[in-house]
Amino acid sequence: MSGSVITFENVSKEFRLSKLPVRSLQDIFVFSWRENMRGKQRFWALQNVNFAINPGETVALVGTNGSGKSTILKLISRIIDPTKGKIKISGRLSALLELGAGFHPDLTGRENIFLNGSILGLGRREMQQKLDSIIHFADIGDFIDVPTRNLSSGMQMRLGFSVAVHVDPQIILVDEVLAVGDYNFQLKCLDRIRYMQQQGVTILFVSHDFQAVENLCTRAIWLDEGTVRADGPVQGIISQVKQNYQQQTNKKTTSDKEMAMEINKFSL
Amino acid sequence: MVTVQKDQSTIIVSAEEKLSLWARIRYAAGSMLGQVTELVRYHELVRNLVVRDLKVRYRNSVLGILWSLFNPLLMMIVFTVVFTVMTPYSDVKHFPVFVLCGILPWNFFSASVIGAIHSIVDNSTLVNKVFFPREILPISIVLANMVNFLLALIVLFLLMLVFQIPFTGWVLLLPVVLAVQVIFTIGFGMIMATANVFYRDTQVIMEVVMLAWFFVTPIFYSGQILPRSYELWTGVTIDVFRWVNIFNPMASIIAMYRVILYGNGNGGSPPEFYFFVRTLITALLVLGIGSIVFYRYSARFGEEV
Repeated sequence: MSGSVITFENVSKEFRLSKLPVRSLQDIFVFSWRENMRGKQRFWALQNVNFAINPGETVALVGTNGSGKSTILKLISRIIDPTKGKIKISGRLSALLELGAGFHPDLTGRENIFLNGSILGLGRREMQQKLDSIIHFADIGDFIDVPTRNLSSGMQMRLGFSVAVHVDPQIILVDEVLAVGDYNFQLKCLDRIRYMQQQGVTILFVSHDFQAVENLCTRAIWLDEGTVRADGPVQGIISQVKQNYQQQTNKKTTSDKEMAMEINKFSL
Repeated sequence: MVTVQKDQSTIIVSAEEKLSLWARIRYAAGSMLGQVTELVRYHELVRNLVVRDLKVRYRNSVLGILWSLFNPLLMMIVFTVVFTVMTPYSDVKHFPVFVLCGILPWNFFSASVIGAIHSIVDNSTLVNKVFFPREILPISIVLANMVNFLLALIVLFLLMLVFQIPFTGWVLLLPVVLAVQVIFTIGFGMIMATANVFYRDTQVIMEVVMLAWFFVTPIFYSGQILPRSYELWTGVTIDVFRWVNIFNPMASIIAMYRVILYGNGNGGSPPEFYFFVRTLITALLVLGIGSIVFYRYSARFGEEV
């Protein structure tokens, strides 16, 4: 445990789900007598999650939508706090969670680079030194001096990725944003990720692209309904996940067939 | 209960169910200190957000930053016309200077509070996607408005020259009075920003509250005209002057600006020492309550906005 960069010990995260979001005082008055409307529903996004990631590992988080992958990334980047358990992170962390995260739409790309750098805790001088290579890597030409709201989603992703990889992180979190880039830029990103792997950067990668996962990662953690279902070498996990998907699709198609027969019965 | 411990570059976030009272107090003190050091570490972000705020504000306007000079000037003209031409009852000497001494700090306060209320909710793209100390958002709003205020002071100084009101040595107290106002505004803004994350009514209610607050603060009238005893009900009288001074820190702050700059129209005069100390203590108290409320709830901002 002492050697790992990211440790999750019995981490659980609960979200309050509200049927009707209580957003105003009026809601409190109106709904206080209707107990069931007040959104007492709770939902465990993660339950007793345990894992430890060692320095230099490239780990993929796989699982269906809603299995808790993004919750884990948000916990690691300290955007949300755990309900139970303990999380330990050591090293400078850079996260590429969503498109345009940390960009102000009214500022130009260049201004946003400085804003983003300062959010990640870097000084102005440091950013000045990195500016050229960030702009060069993003490669969006004159659009660097245009307010980011006018940039295409691909361009925003380029800029975001470029900043995230240039701040010399020791840990980097990459959510499924890479898919937005065009073919050439995706290759460039993969190159950069490989380079960071050589530098010993710890990478946490969320993707539904199994081929990319198998190419890049050494280890995979399979999440299912907020729990770790399997954790191990990437090949083994991916084939298990694929098998599971296959089974579910089969189950679904058989039930669809049965349903169709039922409907036919009625219509006849 | 969430604890964050740090050494060098390691961060531990853990949710612990039970803590003794003593441990809680120690933790609270420790985390306050931690928050302050983190704030210092992020000074570059504060700077960038202030610059961003000023840039965005004037980006699409022709006159740009000059608006922070024209705006108070226009307001001063409106008030002067209303209170000396249309209702010529006030016998305040050099009314334009008198009213500007009140309007400028008030605008600074009011714009900061309204900005701080929206600061967390409007920056949802930052708050729920990146980590940084959340208090930076309301603080940078207040500082951006302070820059505006300092620019607007130029107008006031020019006007004082025009009306030949002498600058006295008391003008040197300006940074101190400004500091008191900044402390009070940040504290109040933090409370309002937190409230608005959970109840969006806050922004609507506060618009009305700020309007009422503007009128009960001696801005376009002198605090001296407030009645010392007003008969509320038969036999029940209240000292309006006293109550305004006790319960409205903005009244005291504006009174101090006026005393050190305008005096009675003959140049700045010394402020009362105890009056000043009392206002400072109130401001510090509000900042203390504001930061406790803010830190208590800021961990949930990422889920709520």
